Amino acid sequence: MRPLDENETTVVFEKIFKFVGNNLKNIVENPSHEGPEPEPGRYCFRLQKSRVYYVSESLVKRATNISRKSLVSLGTCIGKYTHAGSFHLTIMSLNLLAANAKHKVWLKPTSEMSFLYGNHVLKGGLGRITDSIVPGDGVVVFSMSDVPLGFGIAAKSTQDCRKLDPNGIVVLHQADIGEYLRDEDEL
Amino acid sequence: MRTTRRESNEIQVDPVDVLPVKTLDGKLHFRTVTKKSKLAEADPEEAEEDVLEDEHILNKSQRRAKAKRVKGGKETRDGSEVKELSAEESFENKKNRLAELGMLLLSDPEANIRSLKEMLDISKDENAKIVKLCLLSVLAVFKDIIPGYRIRLPTDKELEMKVSKEVKKTRFYESTLLKAYKSYLQKLMAFERQSVYNQVANRCICTLLDAKPHFNFRDNLLTAVVRNISSPDEVVRRLCCSTVRSLFSNEGKHGGELTVQAVRLIADQVKSQNCQLHPNSIEVFMSIRFDEDIGKRDREEANKKKFKKNDKRNNQEEQNQVQENERKKSKREMMSKIRDEVNADYKGVTYEPDAMERRKMQTVTLSAVFETYFRILRKTMYSIGESSTEEEDTTLNPGAFGPHPLLAPCLDGLAKFTQQLDLDYIGDLMNYLKKLASSSSVSTNSKKKNSKLLTVSERLRCCLVAFKVMRSNLNALNVDLQDFFVQLYNLLLEYRPGRDSGEVLAESLKIMLCDDRHQDMQKAAAFVKRLSTFALCFGCAESMSALVTVKNLLQRNVKCRNLLENDAGGGSVSGSIAKYQPYATDPNLSGAFASVLWELNLLTKHYHPAISTMAGSISNMNTSQNQTFLSAVTPQQAFADYSLVKESFEPKNESRKLSNKRKREWW
Repeated sequence: MRPLDENETTVVFEKIFKFVGNNLKNIVENPSHEGPEPEPGRYCFRLQKSRVYYVSESLVKRATNISRKSLVSLGTCIGKYTHAGSFHLTIMSLNLLAANAKHKVWLKPTSEMSFLYGNHVLKGGLGRITDSIVPGDGVVVFSMSDVPLGFGIAAKSTQDCRKLDPNGIVVLHQADIGEYLRDEDEL
Repeated sequence: MRTTRRESNEIQVDPVDVLPVKTLDGKLHFRTVTKKSKLAEADPEEAEEDVLEDEHILNKSQRRAKAKRVKGGKETRDGSEVKELSAEESFENKKNRLAELGMLLLSDPEANIRSLKEMLDISKDENAKIVKLCLLSVLAVFKDIIPGYRIRLPTDKELEMKVSKEVKKTRFYESTLLKAYKSYLQKLMAFERQSVYNQVANRCICTLLDAKPHFNFRDNLLTAVVRNISSPDEVVRRLCCSTVRSLFSNEGKHGGELTVQAVRLIADQVKSQNCQLHPNSIEVFMSIRFDEDIGKRDREEANKKKFKKNDKRNNQEEQNQVQENERKKSKREMMSKIRDEVNADYKGVTYEPDAMERRKMQTVTLSAVFETYFRILRKTMYSIGESSTEEEDTTLNPGAFGPHPLLAPCLDGLAKFTQQLDLDYIGDLMNYLKKLASSSSVSTNSKKKNSKLLTVSERLRCCLVAFKVMRSNLNALNVDLQDFFVQLYNLLLEYRPGRDSGEVLAESLKIMLCDDRHQDMQKAAAFVKRLSTFALCFGCAESMSALVTVKNLLQRNVKCRNLLENDAGGGSVSGSIAKYQPYATDPNLSGAFASVLWELNLLTKHYHPAISTMAGSISNMNTSQNQTFLSAVTPQQAFADYSLVKESFEPKNESRKLSNKRKREWW
């Protein structure tokens, strides 16, 4: 386990920035109430076996006692580095992203299952959408009862969405909570 | 002490009515009043000077000077008296002459058209009152004798032709009328510049334009009226605005062309004055009525042109259907033919332009109206943006009407006409509104002047308009205006009862929170919490409107009722935020679920019975049996009912509650 170096930090932050925008500072400076210390510590990012974890400082301190071979995971895994060297956010970062998301999309109950199987979000399945979405933005997908279902990349701006026909793709799928069942081994 | 010298010019006043004055010498002087009171009508300024002077200190030289002031300049008693009478007499004579001429003209205009000239000559008199009377009487005459059609003077060719006596007579009448009208208008324009006659002249112009908007020279009249639409004189301004408004609503009289012109002129004035006009000048736009489907019809036609390419394919399909309905088709054709004939006859009689022209004119009007609105918005944005970069404001001094006088009516107009706006512009409009709404009036640098930044009410209005625009352009896509919610959340903290308008706040609460079909859970909870804290801080009216909104939100979002339970840390529903941030700027990040609505407990002990009962009913919402009804009161109604302006302390709630029997059950 080691902290992230310069390049890695920039890459991770850029990816998260697409989804949360200025709330990034909330993520980085979130006070953590874990641990027996009276003062709240902070959260930090650690790299272990090409996976990036979001952990509170008190936990990190105690995890240093475990050897590298035995340490499986700590805190929340938010993403991993591929063999080629690029970073991808995984579904396990959903809680973190959903709490701080700038761009949100709500799905109608009928199209929830379609998204959970890994398909993209069509306009016909859209219940609500936040204003001022630009193509290429990170979007978090919710159900109508405000349960986060996953996230993706916006394919069209909000204005264009209005003129789209009902079968046009609005959000390109990146990760959804159905993966916990489908890709159990890879997580 | 009476002296004979004084009797010539003064009337003795009975000492019983007016007590005498004792000077330092010890002499008693009795108050006197001059005979010049009658002349006071004709020469108001002179008379005022006379009355104000202390008459009892007159000496010979002053008396002589006074006598000279009287027209004629004779010093003897008889001479001055004769002069006074003749001035008054001439005034009466002139009035009578005016009345005579007026009656003559009204009774038989064609024969007596020359008397118009005489009437106009009277207006060259020196006496201000006479001139005013003359102008008004000529106005009354013109109102009656102007015909219902535009007079077109005969061309040279027509003059050469031999015509019958009658036609000659009519031509003579028309040309004299037109000449007289022209000179009358010129006089009016000249008089308008003089401050003495300003109001009368304006009244004449406005009445003429209002009564006969189809007649010649209406363009000049219109320019004069629009020029005064922002005059600092309130009477003139109100006259002009009401005239313009009646022009807009009575389009039949002038066939719509004046609307276009008036709007264009107003737009030009806004441009030249750099948006420093009185708000009334833009409020007149609200009286314009547009056909609902102007923009849409154009789009449909454009679409039809596109589809003509596919005609061949469609024709075959259509032919099959047509054969079945031949009888119906022939019937339909007959009906449409008859309808066309009727329409053509109708068109020949009325002034109404046909549909195409009307649509063209309305499109031009619409574009001019929106151009003005966007110009105002842009100017407001620039004035805000520049104030943050420059410390010296050389060009942005607020005019006589305040920093952003036109913003409020502009926003109202936008809200009214949004249906006519094309979808492409809505995106731009929303961007502008977002920037306007987020401009705050708090500046860190004390050198900067705050007067140019928007007030809380103006920002609330921006949010309101944004929502109205969005609502009217729904198009099956429900867009969540997050930024405006953030603005509203922060504006709740900045609101101050005396300075900001509570009605705008109540309206924005209603439109943004109560009317929305689906609310984000976190956001709704954040608003519930902040609104209940808000209800604690202000008077009855604001508290009531806030509580009504809270009740509405809690009834709709069942999960928010967690706030009514004492569940530390938010329980299962809250997000990652473990502690409530009362000063958070973003409602989604406030962690409202981690809090409890303890404010309701305090509010149940409020001095006003309605508020305490409302707070009690909200607290019991979870445990009560009957939850199927939604409260019918809107925040605006609540605000209006309980506002201190009315100063009534009667609990009006009871009359409403009696009507709904269910409400009695659970308390």
